[in-house]
Amino acid sequence: MDISSYDWGLIWDYRGDLLRGLLTALEVSGVALVIATAAGLGLAMLRMGRAPLSWLAVVYINVFRGMPALVTVIWIYFGVSLLLGVNFSVFQAGVIALSLLYSAFMAEIFRSALQAVPPGHREAGLALGMPNGRIFFSVVAPQAFKIALPNVGSMFIGMIKDTSTFTVIGLLEVVRVTQNINAQTFQPFVLYTAAAAIYVLAAFVIDIFFRLAEASLSSPPRGRVSQLVRGRKQRRIQALVAELT
Amino acid sequence: MNTLEPSGPPTPVVHPSAPVATDPAPVLATTGDPTPPVVRIRQLRKSFGSLEVLHGIDLDVHAGEHVVLFGPSGSGKSTVLRSINLLEEPNSGSVCVDGVEYGPGVAGEPRVKRGKPMALRRKVGMVFQQFNLFPHLTALDNVSLPLRSVKGMSSEDAMRKAAESLRQVGLLERAAHYPGQLSGGQQQRVAIARALSQDPKVMLFDEPTSALDPELVGEVLRVMHELADAGMTMVVVTHELGFAREIGDLNVFMDQGAIVETGSSELFDNPTNPRTQDFIRAVR
Ligand SMILES: Nc1ncnc2c1ncn2[C@@H]1O[C@H](COP(=O)(O)OP(=O)(O)OP(=O)(O)O)[C@@H](O)[C@H]1O
Ligand SMILES: [Mg+2]
Repeated sequence: MDISSYDWGLIWDYRGDLLRGLLTALEVSGVALVIATAAGLGLAMLRMGRAPLSWLAVVYINVFRGMPALVTVIWIYFGVSLLLGVNFSVFQAGVIALSLLYSAFMAEIFRSALQAVPPGHREAGLALGMPNGRIFFSVVAPQAFKIALPNVGSMFIGMIKDTSTFTVIGLLEVVRVTQNINAQTFQPFVLYTAAAAIYVLAAFVIDIFFRLAEASLSSPPRGRVSQLVRGRKQRRIQALVAELT
Repeated sequence: MNTLEPSGPPTPVVHPSAPVATDPAPVLATTGDPTPPVVRIRQLRKSFGSLEVLHGIDLDVHAGEHVVLFGPSGSGKSTVLRSINLLEEPNSGSVCVDGVEYGPGVAGEPRVKRGKPMALRRKVGMVFQQFNLFPHLTALDNVSLPLRSVKGMSSEDAMRKAAESLRQVGLLERAAHYPGQLSGGQQQRVAIARALSQDPKVMLFDEPTSALDPELVGEVLRVMHELADAGMTMVVVTHELGFAREIGDLNVFMDQGAIVETGSSELFDNPTNPRTQDFIRAVR
């Protein structure tokens, strides 16, 4: 095939299908991100807590950190569904697979973030007579969340890439869509270049989003949006100071 | 008047695990004021694992008194301080603050009802060497958060009370700053304001100026001096013996997990125990 026979216009012609594929990947990953974040936080607490629950958490984390996405989704869709007698939709199977896998990673991310908060801050809270729960939610968690955020962003990018393996169960994500178009047009170079570009662009946008979120959580807040939101509080303090001086 | 020897209890107990170098008779650190003490520590022992680091501490702090703890590194000063607000759980003995008692109790005395750690902590303010401000909150919110969560104040009331506390340490105009935007001395003053705003019965200071650049020490000591002059009950661990001499009503020399010698400011001029003499000579 020489250069002139590459039909780059195909990408534009099939833009609707390709974007719908990306949207599906984002949906599966987005739902799984919420579940994996919550479950990961729970696992991190178990992991840092008492035996034997902490051992269970360790086993879970080590099993699912080691499993490839491809194996997991086949195991869920064809295996676990038989075992439980439930017919998962491909969407559900994808969400379950990603949630299982990434909650294990999230647990480690949250554990190290929680441990990165200086113990003195917790002690200061205790010394002030604050209850443990309040210390966690108002002192430790906000700091840990900011520390964890960039890694959570990386996990989200990883999830989107892993959805590419869900083509095996027939999820209409980017790769499956690309395969379908290629079956009709026989332009693998063009189409898979487009698929690759879609993943790279998605990762790029997500990275920027998480960077902005991180900047807005820094103290003092950086960036316009966060200054608008958190600046209100500061202006209220400044007004009070002006009133008192 | 400061008594150097205990008048009544505690009874001398020679504990097998106490190091040989420790004096056999435990020293009760007290000014001898007959009123009931705000802080009363009796036969306090503390171990980390199998290592006992406090071998029976007896200390009285009365209302308005300024007690200075000093001594070599590792002698247990911080552990005594951290036991007063139960950041360290006593292994034996008792800690009593303003009538709330906690701990396994004193050998030979009838068991009393032991209080909850939280109830005791709320009577005690603590200032740490490393400030321990919450970095994600403004100076004002560092002070107002515990007012809301411990005292249940409304956001508006807590803000006003916090602002008053910041004014007290001379930092009202920095209320909207984050800890990262403040100097070490300013951060420590915010930490003092935060502890003060809880209206504690006693304030504990654990080497509050040790983490500061030399030129910032003065501003923190000045705030502490004002507090002392205003009659606040204080227990201060410090290596600033000049400052100790100025404010200390009762100066307590600790070594190897025990109180060795106590006295008024003349302790710094005429220590009687050879270990106190060595230490003061070395520091000077
Ligand atoms: N959490 C802990 N675990 C184990 N050992 C500890 C712990 N905290 C303190 N120790 C030990 O207890 C002893 C007393 O420590 P402490 O911190 O009370 O001394 P200090 O007089 O405050 O010393 P410094 O002047 O260095 O602050 C030391 O031997 C120390 O190593
Ligand atoms: Mg210390």
